[in-house]
Amino acid sequence: MQSRFFLLLFVMAGLVVAFAPFPVRPIAPQERTFRIEAGQFAYSSSEIKVNPGDTVNIQLVSTDVVHGLYVDGYDISIEADPGQTKTLSFVADKPGSFRFRCNVTCGAMHPFMIGKLSVGKKVWFYRSIGLSIIAIIGFLKFPRRPVLITAH
Amino acid sequence: MKRSELLSRIFITVAVLGAVGAPLFVWARTPLIHAKVAEDGGWNPDVIQANAGEPLFLKLTSDDVVHGFAVGQMDMQSVDVLPGKVSNVTLTFDKPGIYTFFCTRWCGLNHWRMRGTIEVSGSPSDHEPALSEAAEPLYVTLGLDIDAPHDALVIPRSQPSAISGQQLAANLPIDLSTDYYRAYSPYQVFDELPNTSLTESQSWDVVAYIWQSNTTNESLSDGQQLYAQNCAACHGENGAGNGVFADDLAASGESSMQTMAGADQMTMQTPVDFTDPTRMLGASPALLQGKILRGGMGTGMPMWGSIFTEEQIWDLIAYLYSFQFDYHRGEAQ
Amino acid sequence: MELTRLPFLKSALKSRYSQLAVFIVMLVGYIFVILAGLIGTPVGSHNFSIVFVWIAWWAILILVAVPFFGRGWCAVCPIPLPGEWLQRGAVLNPPDKKPRWLNLRWPKFLRNIWLQNISFLLLALFSSVLLTTPNITGIVLAAMLFAAIGLSMIFERRAFCRYLCPVGGFIGLYSQTAPIELRIKDKQVCVVCDGKPCYNGASTVGLDVQRLNPPLSANSNTGYGCPWDVFPGGLTKNTYCGLCMECIRTCPHDNIAINLRPFSADLAKPSTRLDEAFKAFIMLGSAMIYAGVLLGPWGAFKDAAYNVGTSAWFIYATIFLAIIFAILPGFFWLMISLTSRPFAKHPFGAPIGRGVGVRKFASLTTALIPLGLMFWVAFSLSFVLTNATYILASLSDPLGLGWNLFGTANAVWQPMLTSILAPAQTLALVGGLIWSARTAQKAANEVKVSSVPVVIYCFITTLVMLGLLL
Repeated sequence: MQSRFFLLLFVMAGLVVAFAPFPVRPIAPQERTFRIEAGQFAYSSSEIKVNPGDTVNIQLVSTDVVHGLYVDGYDISIEADPGQTKTLSFVADKPGSFRFRCNVTCGAMHPFMIGKLSVGKKVWFYRSIGLSIIAIIGFLKFPRRPVLITAH
Repeated sequence: MKRSELLSRIFITVAVLGAVGAPLFVWARTPLIHAKVAEDGGWNPDVIQANAGEPLFLKLTSDDVVHGFAVGQMDMQSVDVLPGKVSNVTLTFDKPGIYTFFCTRWCGLNHWRMRGTIEVSGSPSDHEPALSEAAEPLYVTLGLDIDAPHDALVIPRSQPSAISGQQLAANLPIDLSTDYYRAYSPYQVFDELPNTSLTESQSWDVVAYIWQSNTTNESLSDGQQLYAQNCAACHGENGAGNGVFADDLAASGESSMQTMAGADQMTMQTPVDFTDPTRMLGASPALLQGKILRGGMGTGMPMWGSIFTEEQIWDLIAYLYSFQFDYHRGEAQ
Repeated sequence: MELTRLPFLKSALKSRYSQLAVFIVMLVGYIFVILAGLIGTPVGSHNFSIVFVWIAWWAILILVAVPFFGRGWCAVCPIPLPGEWLQRGAVLNPPDKKPRWLNLRWPKFLRNIWLQNISFLLLALFSSVLLTTPNITGIVLAAMLFAAIGLSMIFERRAFCRYLCPVGGFIGLYSQTAPIELRIKDKQVCVVCDGKPCYNGASTVGLDVQRLNPPLSANSNTGYGCPWDVFPGGLTKNTYCGLCMECIRTCPHDNIAINLRPFSADLAKPSTRLDEAFKAFIMLGSAMIYAGVLLGPWGAFKDAAYNVGTSAWFIYATIFLAIIFAILPGFFWLMISLTSRPFAKHPFGAPIGRGVGVRKFASLTTALIPLGLMFWVAFSLSFVLTNATYILASLSDPLGLGWNLFGTANAVWQPMLTSILAPAQTLALVGGLIWSARTAQKAANEVKVSSVPVVIYCFITTLVMLGLLL
């Protein structure tokens, strides 16, 4: 009986960690401009951080061949030829960690030309750590209780 | 042997031979023109035969990065040649001759070496020269040495304004003709201005006005587009000689030439800074035309003679001077 | 639940024609993929071979086939077929009584998966080139086909699949987690079975179905001995059963079944073999390294991984091997040896290394099997969802000749489901952690040690993987 109660408690805690809205400290939105140089097969400034609500301007400068920049999650993109800087402007209204990647085939390692955009906290990273800790505590506290996963 | 076994063996043999043969067959029957960066060989093939007056069908594909295709001095929209994709192009040449096709999207330091030729044969339908190259360019007529130093001895303290120059020039006996503008550098014109009460900066404003009156907004915007596509990667988007390849050019020295034949005595140079008044105000349009037509002879500056039309080169030159002259300040709006 | 009770499934598995039809389609496809790699466009992301092998096939393999069907891919894989047909001298007929090729036994000292570990690592170290260069993919696929043929000429059975295939090694390892298995129904039947035709081959042992009482299976006469060199009667785990279904056809007593079972049933009895333990580390380590190198934002790593032969690549390869053979197993060994004695008696200060033998070490690595599988699922989700649209384009123009067979040749590259990627990866990794913790408890129970260090080890590696992916 007691173990069932704790199981329920852990499941509840897991649900809270997985779905509860993330606490955000309100920060006044700013306009931020990043100059990102794209060359085979990396972005220089491959990690950019902004706060939720910021207006982000990404100036894309290609330094060898035609490259692009596609932001996962926001699903927006630009492409730039060498010598022709292009700017991508958007409001970072989705919090979390996103990959941005080249969307113009630029050679062999093109599919792996990747950078990271962090909008506020890495929400899913913290959620998953929370879930992992709950799971681990559950296992360590009740090492031999029957679990739902395998019946036998 | 049982019949089922025999039939299976026959079927497998046919299927395997078909899987090998069918792709090879269609592949061998589809001739493609492959584009690769110049370091890896450029266009393959790089010589194409055609007949005057007959359409030429080309299938172009890129084997590495984004390239583009256009034929020099021809009124055509450039065609993107994308990696792994096939672009179809149909060309018709009116006159026989040797045409240059080239890559239109920057694909590295040696992008401009990605060129090939189309040999168009046939009897000329009229007696005009095949290509406009046949006419002697202005710098040759004028006998300019385009490699000689051409510094301006005096430069303006601030950017000359064409609009204030226009007001000042109203009562001056100045020559606004194209022939005059093309043959002289802004410094020479400044130097030869009639001796008046104008201050030095006012005189430069008048020169700016002369340059402006020899171009149009349309020319400037065409020139700007040509500049962005063909020049900015080295000379910089703001003309300051600091384009994305500028450092690579200076650093590469002769190394980037090694793959190209017949490039023995070349040394790459840092691209020219068009915002430098000493250099730009000392250069006449005819001199710049010469440099663009002929190229930098091993400095890394391509030769554009077989690519741009004469009109395109004049548009481009007009745009280059806009790094020196202000055509808009004081405009009534 | 016994799937072979379903009449439709059973007759499909027993018939040679249904399997042959699948095999021919797969073989033709495989040959076409090799050719597309060799003559198609050299642009990886648009070449049919790259897109179909490393995006489509890989997605099906790691997200569907392995987790749900175990060695299901091996059941339809075309690589061993030409060799096996030549070895048998027949496609449908029973094999000759006298072997027509060398038919050697596989050398005893290689009867483990170390060669598979090495072959996987060889591909893994060159993976950046392999994954992006169609020619190389074509050559490697062709080389595997010819290696399988060659080994079939020299050795008996499917030596390539069992001992060399770089893919087969990890499929076998992870197939233990799959909810599907091939097992015998009644042990007693096998004990008294005359000649064991499922292992030795019906024609070799002179089996005559008509003389059996009652005559059970008309197919048995044509059956040949297990190509995977496994005696079905002794099967306790999926690792080395290739699901070729031959024993189902051969068994004169109809004693072979395909069962549906709980996930990870095989992991309850941990393996004590070091080659399998290191396979687990190899797979766990490669998933983490790829997540960092291929999907991370660090261009220098990608350059090092791609420029094979340069000093940067040698450093990359050294680090790669060090992580797999030293850091991950060393850390694991350190953690379990620190707590190898019963917790209550010696909480701290147990002398390092005492009490941790190969048996304990290998048994406890069982926990890393579900963990590694879910690492690969999480890694592949990102790679596959991002690049799935390439499949559409290359399907319409497989040879890069400008065709548009299905009207999708100009499909624009567009990552799919980017907004649910992070939650899906979280689910996979946290789920994998829970799964491996559960497995660790069972394994620790078997060897009578505490599961805590193993669970903590899994937790730390999961944190690293989460940090790399999210």
